[in-house]
Amino acid sequence: MTTALADRPTAGPTGSEWAVETHGLTKRFGGNVAVDDVELLVPRGCAFGYLGPNGAGKTTLIRVLLGLTRADAGSMSLLGHAVPDHRAEALARVGAIVDEPRFHGHLTGRQNLQILAAAREPAARERISGALDRVGMGQRSDDKVSKYSMGMRQRLGVAACLLGDPQLLILDEPMNGLDPAGMQEMRDMILGLVDEGRTVMLSSHLLDEVERTCNAVAIVDRGRVIRQGSIHDLLSGSSVRVEVECSDPAAASALLSGRLPGADCEVEPDGIALLLPPDTGRDVIAEVNRVLVEGGISVYRLQLVQASLESWFLQVTSRLGESS
Amino acid sequence: MTTLAPVDAAASGPAPVPLSHRPDHRGSWIPTWGMVATRFMELRRRKGLMITLLAVNIGLPVVFLAFRLIAHAVDPKSYGPAGGYSIFTTLVAGVLFIFGFIVAATVGCTAGSVDLTEGMFRHLVITGRSRLALYLARIPAGLAIVLPIVAVGFAIVCTVCILAAPTQLNYDGTKVPAGLSQPALDSWATAHADEVICNFGLDIGPNSDLLQVVNSVNCGNGNGPGIKIGPGATTTAPVSHAQVEAAARQIANLDYYDYHRNFLEPPTHLIIDSGLWVLLEATIGFVVGLGLASLMGQRTVPVILMIVLEVILTPVLSRTVIPHLINAQRGIVGLAMSHLEPAGLPSPFGGNGQSGQIMLVPESRTVAVCVIVGWLVVWTALGAWRMVTRDA
Repeated sequence: MTTALADRPTAGPTGSEWAVETHGLTKRFGGNVAVDDVELLVPRGCAFGYLGPNGAGKTTLIRVLLGLTRADAGSMSLLGHAVPDHRAEALARVGAIVDEPRFHGHLTGRQNLQILAAAREPAARERISGALDRVGMGQRSDDKVSKYSMGMRQRLGVAACLLGDPQLLILDEPMNGLDPAGMQEMRDMILGLVDEGRTVMLSSHLLDEVERTCNAVAIVDRGRVIRQGSIHDLLSGSSVRVEVECSDPAAASALLSGRLPGADCEVEPDGIALLLPPDTGRDVIAEVNRVLVEGGISVYRLQLVQASLESWFLQVTSRLGESS
Repeated sequence: MTTLAPVDAAASGPAPVPLSHRPDHRGSWIPTWGMVATRFMELRRRKGLMITLLAVNIGLPVVFLAFRLIAHAVDPKSYGPAGGYSIFTTLVAGVLFIFGFIVAATVGCTAGSVDLTEGMFRHLVITGRSRLALYLARIPAGLAIVLPIVAVGFAIVCTVCILAAPTQLNYDGTKVPAGLSQPALDSWATAHADEVICNFGLDIGPNSDLLQVVNSVNCGNGNGPGIKIGPGATTTAPVSHAQVEAAARQIANLDYYDYHRNFLEPPTHLIIDSGLWVLLEATIGFVVGLGLASLMGQRTVPVILMIVLEVILTPVLSRTVIPHLINAQRGIVGLAMSHLEPAGLPSPFGGNGQSGQIMLVPESRTVAVCVIVGWLVVWTALGAWRMVTRDA
């Protein structure tokens, strides 16, 4: 797959065009290639989803980006700073959660943040209370972390990210351990951060959440980025599915065969499902209805099924499975 | 082909995040005061560790000295004074030195491993702060906990040993003044010749020159002299008073080593030297434990290894010369510390001869200093290297 940079975003405050940029990034663990020649471009000021099944290499890529482990090949930059050469400058404006957020259990949430703030710039210490309040942990900040639930630790992890007043947040599975209300709060918080001009890159396998939260995504499978772009653009390139409930599915399928070039027709017990090319217009759907009615077939329901990120993801990954 | 177009937010231009950051030199290897202070807080709030540290370095000496004080107050004839030179040297070399090392090593192992085992290491690395600075911040923070506690324990020992030191020595009813030099003790013995001969415990053989004199002294109540006489001894004619005085001086001379060791309160120079020596040992324990735990990425095994080093390996290898391995033996930090031990203390790893001479694997003080510096530098370098290269 080739990624073309049709319209490059404008440079950010630090002069870089992309929040995250990688070229040929590769990380191996013995014979296993966890990150395979990844070309990734994350625009500034958006929520960017990094999607993939378990074991696809999402967390490994994040660890490489953050300097938690070394890359075997390739180059990368965060906020325009080459990593690892200018790692300190890059990470000064980056906040991240990698894997499950864990802290010193014998300390309170606030004390844990004090340790992390001390490793950042002096102003970080003044942001502790604000960060705790923002993630809804202000009331529990003086409780020991050992008494926190998984969701509270997740929120404390986000608060830790905010200590550096980051331009880029990298969140690895931020919805893990959150109840529905917590997921909603997290989603709102991410959108709020994006509204402030920050970039949020989140990895997840929860496609529905990503679709609700993110503007753009990259799909990773077996260490390789196989698609990336804005969700709107990606979904507009997927097949159009039309479900038809009718009196005689077999006859309907026969009638439509050859009348719709590039369409696939699946016969189902109470109707047919048409998969039409991505650029199919609404007039084609009207044509389907006209052909069936004129052929003497009663049409009970005719529905255009909107493509979702989940269906598109499955479509893409299943194609990959077939090709391999 | 998939086209990556700028998303709406990017296309419209993100609102710039306020650049409120000042240069913080976070790439520097020098830790900030805040990093040291928060690391200190993290260690100090470990209740179990702090209780162990206090119990061993302060609790053990306090309990021992309290028992001695009470026992002496209740039954002074059976239990000697709580303080004094002998108690001081025993507690310093036997308790504070060895247990101080072990507890300091435990604190070091904790400081070197908990960020990894408790998941904070990753958070800290993500801040962009130099990993070397993250490592080095642990050294002053840990020492700021260990050294004051060791110093308090040592101060308690010093205080009791000085204040509760005996003012005079009681040799089976004979009271000898404190702090006499050897000539002064000779003079005192001359003036109290009969008491010295009757009451100073001294084991002499049947052929000793003293035998005739001590048998001539009448100790009253039918008791003979306190001096033990070997089998086959014979008595001869009465002796002159001058001979009795000479014998008393000779006995006092023979007893002076024990008198000197057991009677006086510890002198100031010994207290200072011993204090620095114990603190140096605790520092070594902490730094080596920190490096070892950082290298291994865990706490339990390094703690066990440090205890084995201090309690088993060092005593054995310090006292047994293995010809082909003698240079390796000289590289043991405990042996080096023994060679820097203040004069007057017993060896912490045993090996004292009857005359008080230490029988250790020989090593010059220069080599000992080099070994100690080497251990501090090498273990710090190893721990820091692992910290810098470790996957987080």
